[in-house]
Amino acid sequence: MTAPTPPPRTTRAVRPVAVVAGNRTPFAKAGGRYAQASAKDLLVAAVDGLVARTGLAGERLGEVVAGAVLKHSRDLNLTREAVLSTALDPATPAFDVSQACATGLETAVLLAGKIALGQVDAGIAGGADSASDAPIAVDEGLRRVLLALNRARTPGARLKALAGLRPGQVVPELPRNAEARTGLSMGEHAARTAAHWGVSRQAQDELALASHRNLAAAYERGFFDDLVTPYLGLRRDGLLRPDTTPAKLAELEPVFGRDLEAPATMTAGNSTPLTDGAAAVLLATDEWAAEHRLDVLAHLVDAQTAAVDHVHRGEGLLTAPVHAVPVLLQRNGWTLDDLDVVEVHEAFASTVLATLAAWEDEEFCRERLGLDGPLGRVDRAKLNVAGSSLATGHPFAATGARILATTAKLLAERGGGRALISICAAGGQGIAALVEA
Amino acid sequence: MGTTPRPLAANYLRSLVVPRPRGAVDLPRRRVEQHGVRVDPFRLAAWSRLCGYPLRSRLPLPYPHLLGFTAQVQLLVSEPFPFRLLGLVHVAQEFTQHRPLPVEAELEVSVRAVAMAPHRRGAVVDLVTEVRAAGDGAPAWRGVSRYLAPGARLPGAVPPAEADPPAPGPGAAVGRWRVGASTGRRYAEVSGDVNPIHLAAPAARLLGFRRALAHGLWTASRSLAVLDGRLPDAVRADVRFKAPLLLPATVEHRHERVPEREGGGWRTAVRSRDGARTHLLTRVTPL
Repeated sequence: MTAPTPPPRTTRAVRPVAVVAGNRTPFAKAGGRYAQASAKDLLVAAVDGLVARTGLAGERLGEVVAGAVLKHSRDLNLTREAVLSTALDPATPAFDVSQACATGLETAVLLAGKIALGQVDAGIAGGADSASDAPIAVDEGLRRVLLALNRARTPGARLKALAGLRPGQVVPELPRNAEARTGLSMGEHAARTAAHWGVSRQAQDELALASHRNLAAAYERGFFDDLVTPYLGLRRDGLLRPDTTPAKLAELEPVFGRDLEAPATMTAGNSTPLTDGAAAVLLATDEWAAEHRLDVLAHLVDAQTAAVDHVHRGEGLLTAPVHAVPVLLQRNGWTLDDLDVVEVHEAFASTVLATLAAWEDEEFCRERLGLDGPLGRVDRAKLNVAGSSLATGHPFAATGARILATTAKLLAERGGGRALISICAAGGQGIAALVEA
Repeated sequence: MGTTPRPLAANYLRSLVVPRPRGAVDLPRRRVEQHGVRVDPFRLAAWSRLCGYPLRSRLPLPYPHLLGFTAQVQLLVSEPFPFRLLGLVHVAQEFTQHRPLPVEAELEVSVRAVAMAPHRRGAVVDLVTEVRAAGDGAPAWRGVSRYLAPGARLPGAVPPAEADPPAPGPGAAVGRWRVGASTGRRYAEVSGDVNPIHLAAPAARLLGFRRALAHGLWTASRSLAVLDGRLPDAVRADVRFKAPLLLPATVEHRHERVPEREGGGWRTAVRSRDGARTHLLTRVTPL
């Protein structure tokens, strides 16, 4: 028997990917209003809110992609389990993604790739994190004893395994905000970068103040009415301080970089605290959106990840987006001047300012980024205009979807334009994306 | 005129010492009311984890029952019912949700007895719990709890027993629950229902059971949690408690959709693994 003739190989056209809608829970300070909610609860709330707003109850989507940075071992199928609790058709597949603070945007990029290639017509991307409900692991020594005990088949082998028990093993391991390779906290890393670029305390406090004022103003004008669904009685981000002042921010004691020669500049006011929350975005083809009578906010054009060597070359832990953005702009023939909206994730105010400083620095851009000259200047009037992580808080995996939805809506609101998103992540990584409407 | 309930433990003690009337009695005319009731988020979260619900901004279908439980006990011990609180058997429960209640709402809870009837094993009484958001006209949620007082006597003929809802068929979806020995203690902690039969085997033995039993409401809530996300906002669940579930146990859960021509919705059952004993049957109907 002869094999059937294979169909001719076709090159399918890449399809534009629309950002159709977004939804998130208000974000809450860790240990606050969501202290009892798990990352899964939060993800269910964000997705269900999105499903309710877009009228997709019972709909079978192509895929739901999400993740959590602080993840329990029992949550190996976090997103799929969350989908089963939502109003979506239970036959909607899902998968988990983990890329530290880049998770939320990476989920959207992965889903967008599937949509562009014709594998999926519509899906939801997002992320959730609960710093309140963080996983706690048993001591590593105890874990090894328990695994050996599980393998033991004879009483002698069991006794031998139990002989490995030590009193200190009862102390569990708490998750720490420390880099695996350096042992330094993210704030300590950021303080080194801030000192390197000479980022001043005043500039950081000004950025923090702008973030709070912009977020408060955006809430006031109803910008978030169709982007945020109240959860457990919280209607706005719990960390938002609409009435904060330069004087109040200036009073705060520095918390990071106190061991450096340069003056310590990073405070609780210009750094993001541990936060609980979840966010989700609906991505689809234009045709799918039209069939479902949903307006397209914007299109996700392209994305780029990058990583730096913070371990051996001492590069700034959170500076990978500095490298990702020029590559991304160049590939698409865009420049910083073409942008109408710029969203740079405010892990720390100093991270944003160091990133902008690097792009303006001719020597750095030539030597480290391989450019002919400085990448350029970001117009501060276009930066984080609806507030960012300093005011909303930063539930790690949720931040990307929060920013993507905000960006898409900002573009839709102004009737079109181009936007850049830049997000730094632990492990010396970063992700950037271009959005257009 | 409503009254405010006493603490639960005091009512359990009172039920042991206050004599009960003999012979025929009227239904109590009082209603126990609570105003300004707020959901304790910690208790809701603990209850949700134990029963398998995610933590949402709206109360799970069975949850408002907990808000009225103290008032139910108050009514049972303070009114002239011909039976004691300890020894009552929860035989059926109906949950009707007209619209979901938000977790942060200020609530009004009222409990009253609506019917008392002879039963082939004693007498049954129906307690109705209604929960409304403060300021709302109609209750958003209504629960009817049917308790059997074994051996109690009421005048009149025993009405014919209501038929049980049909059990899910052989094609129904199957789940296996490993129900731990501490389930009764854990549910007692979050629900306030500290009836000793649920707490430990020795206490249960004093009251005639070989081991501690799961609360019927835990079993019912765990079963309804399987349908979470699949139910409309306006919905009724009719739960029948059949055989007690002795702890620890591994049981089988079955659920299936009911065709529209039979009213739609779902039916569920909790049975022993060999299928010999049915612990619980429910019929869930959209309103």
